[in-house]
Amino acid sequence: MINKSPILAAVIALIAVAGFADPVTKVDRFSREFTLDVGGSFWIENPTGTIEIIGTDTPGLRVGCVKTVIADDPQSLALGIEQTHVMMEGNQQVRIIRTVVPVVRAGKWRSSVAYTVRVPRSVHVKISSSSAERIRVQNITGNVTVKNFNGLIVFDNVVGSSIVDTVNGSVVYEYGAKPTANAQLSTVNGNIEVRVPGDSNFTWVADTIQGEFLTTMPVRGGFSGSTFRGSVNSTGGPTLTTASLMGRVVLLRKGTRVEEARSVQQTPRVSLPIPSAGNTWETKFQAAKFDGNLVMSVPIGSIEVGRIEGFARVETGAGAVKLDSVLGEANVLSLGGPLSLGDIYRAVTAHTDAGDIIVRGALDGGNISTGGGTIRLLYAGGPTTLRSGGGDIIVRQASGPIDAETTSGDITITADPNAKTEKFEAKSLQGNVAVNVNPHFGADIEATIITSNPDANAIHSDFPGLTMHRDQINGKTRIRATGKINGGGQKIQLYATEGNIHITSQTANPITVVNP
Amino acid sequence: MVECDVVKESWPLLLTESLDPATRERTLQHIEQCALCNAEWAAFRATWAMLGDLPIVEVPARVKEKFLATIMPQQVVAAPATNVIPFQRRPAFKWLAQAAAVTVIAGGSWFAGHRSTTVQLAPTQAIVSEPRPIQNVSMPYSIAESRVLPASLVNPDIQGRPDIQNVQFSDNATNGDVNLSFDITSHVTVTGKPNDKSVVRLLAYVVRNEDTMSPSRSRAIDWIRRVYSNPQTTDPEIATALASVLRTDEHQGVRINAVDTLKTLQPNGANETTTQALIEALRSDPNPAVRLKAVEALANLARSGTQLDAMTLDTLRQKAAQDDENTYVRVKAAEALSNVHP
Repeated sequence: MINKSPILAAVIALIAVAGFADPVTKVDRFSREFTLDVGGSFWIENPTGTIEIIGTDTPGLRVGCVKTVIADDPQSLALGIEQTHVMMEGNQQVRIIRTVVPVVRAGKWRSSVAYTVRVPRSVHVKISSSSAERIRVQNITGNVTVKNFNGLIVFDNVVGSSIVDTVNGSVVYEYGAKPTANAQLSTVNGNIEVRVPGDSNFTWVADTIQGEFLTTMPVRGGFSGSTFRGSVNSTGGPTLTTASLMGRVVLLRKGTRVEEARSVQQTPRVSLPIPSAGNTWETKFQAAKFDGNLVMSVPIGSIEVGRIEGFARVETGAGAVKLDSVLGEANVLSLGGPLSLGDIYRAVTAHTDAGDIIVRGALDGGNISTGGGTIRLLYAGGPTTLRSGGGDIIVRQASGPIDAETTSGDITITADPNAKTEKFEAKSLQGNVAVNVNPHFGADIEATIITSNPDANAIHSDFPGLTMHRDQINGKTRIRATGKINGGGQKIQLYATEGNIHITSQTANPITVVNP
Repeated sequence: MVECDVVKESWPLLLTESLDPATRERTLQHIEQCALCNAEWAAFRATWAMLGDLPIVEVPARVKEKFLATIMPQQVVAAPATNVIPFQRRPAFKWLAQAAAVTVIAGGSWFAGHRSTTVQLAPTQAIVSEPRPIQNVSMPYSIAESRVLPASLVNPDIQGRPDIQNVQFSDNATNGDVNLSFDITSHVTVTGKPNDKSVVRLLAYVVRNEDTMSPSRSRAIDWIRRVYSNPQTTDPEIATALASVLRTDEHQGVRINAVDTLKTLQPNGANETTTQALIEALRSDPNPAVRLKAVEALANLARSGTQLDAMTLDTLRQKAAQDDENTYVRVKAAEALSNVHP
């Protein structure tokens, strides 16, 4: 009998070695020199890897490259080395350096190329990158353009006009002398920090919707929406535009620190943490219970509160609002974001510029509107007005008058199963309207359809006693049904364009309303 | 004038109440609007009524004989029996036709099922060479605009009260069969697993078909959200159907529902078509809720590590920077971008 233990041990050892094997790395260093005119241009495209460009008084272009390929195995490493190309093109007016890697890669490898480039100080520089850990441009008097996705961008003593456009990267701009050319710095999720000599004078335009503007320079100006426009020291001079959608913009006098900077905003904003990549921007303000009246306003952020013993007055510039129950009145406003409200025991006023609204119980009725989105109201205990700029409106149980209108969407209103009569108005400018009432519900019906397809759209009623009329208006057919159901009652006015109207007789299960 | 001619062709059928409701409605509308046709129709109807009031006059035997001899010269014409009652067209033709349809279906099926003739066969010795299991052959029920069913497949018991309309008859000269066609509205329930191709296709059809009323489509979309959000049941065909709705449906409520559902199917149900539809919605849908849900869906994709292409990133970037866009949409676009690592 053969002893299998050594073989088994060898196999296990091999597997273990393979499993825990370190990735293999290959680093390749090389440099090149080219002629480049003093007034020439230098372009560089590098998907991944740091880029450092330094202006010098020496003529010509000197490029130092560090090409790094990391792979899971030697075969992939060989592939990575073979497929990562550094291409140097152009002539002495324009020099172009490109790192070329295939979009779809065979094997498990990744590569980056780090460049250190020395150019004549006066050349124009253009940089394009996806993910550079850092891009640094130093001592350039020509124009500089940088487009990047991730990574820090540092400008040090860049004198010419500059444009920086990044998504997740932050920008640091250190002026060596007073700004003399326009600069336009924009980032979506990063911060911007600019340091200028104390005697600089320029126009500062700053924009952010979430962050704040801080400065240690004397600035005079004002806001127009989320954009600040002001003069630094005195009017005139070049324009420095700094736009960070979600980040902070800081303008510092050289030698001062961020901690010394003050906000230029007239009203202090709620300070939100600057998230790192991967976090959600939806900063939440949460509380399980609020004993008194809740008055809250945030520029951006979601608000989530359980039970509110008093009234609620809640506003957010952008974000979701969720309130479980409000004993007093509820006044909720979001300039964008969904609203979810529980039982509101007094009148509710809820509006969002964009997003769905769900209200469990509007016990005293109210006004609910959205610029676009679906409105779901489970219980309406009083007169309620519902408006949607586009989206369905659904009222599960109406124990009070309902006035609903949507630009495009279906409207469904179900009356309280015990209601004898109720006043409803429903208007869909593009969609269907359905009203469900109990079999004994009495009402004066006035239903109208405007349609270009009278074969497809119709008024359906489970109740007898309606008279149908049909005529033509502006090339469209108007179908009208009028009459009393169950001897008549309050008025139900229904209007649908390019849709159907259904008046159905159903006994729905009543919704239980909990006492506070 | 062409329309007048077309309408006039259907007047005899209108008089006998044999037109289908849609054509009837169109014809009446035309008559109401067209003064010429209105006058002509009044005269036509009056003539018809007058004809109905006229006494029935027996055709003189000599005239009848001569007429029949002209059209059927080979046959000997028998003298009319005295007990023959002359045929008069009744306005209840439609109901008769429907009754006839039902009778023919039921009778034909019964006849096909019960036809038996005693046949005497000489006894022979049976030899079993290779035993084979009996295969139960059944035709799949296909949902189609128009289909032909042999009478033997129609159950003679008609259940409920199906709405049979537009009944027409024709006969097949070659084999003596009769064809009976009609429009029928019946309630069909298809049962199956969520991933059964027929269920998936049927759902995709209902969702895509704008002729289906929006509440039905919305219901179908809600149901898809509940059933197909599970990674095990997510089907790319369903996602593609929703993408089609998101792109083309005029009804904003339905589009909101579609994008909401696509959001829940992501990232398992994501494919190029759905991502493209989300980008288009984010770029240009006039409804802010649709744009908001589209950007949320793209943010979910980015968060899940799905590689977003350059066009998607560009759109998100543009949205984040777009001053006149809703702030929440801009914030969500920025959030999506913060999760991207190209």
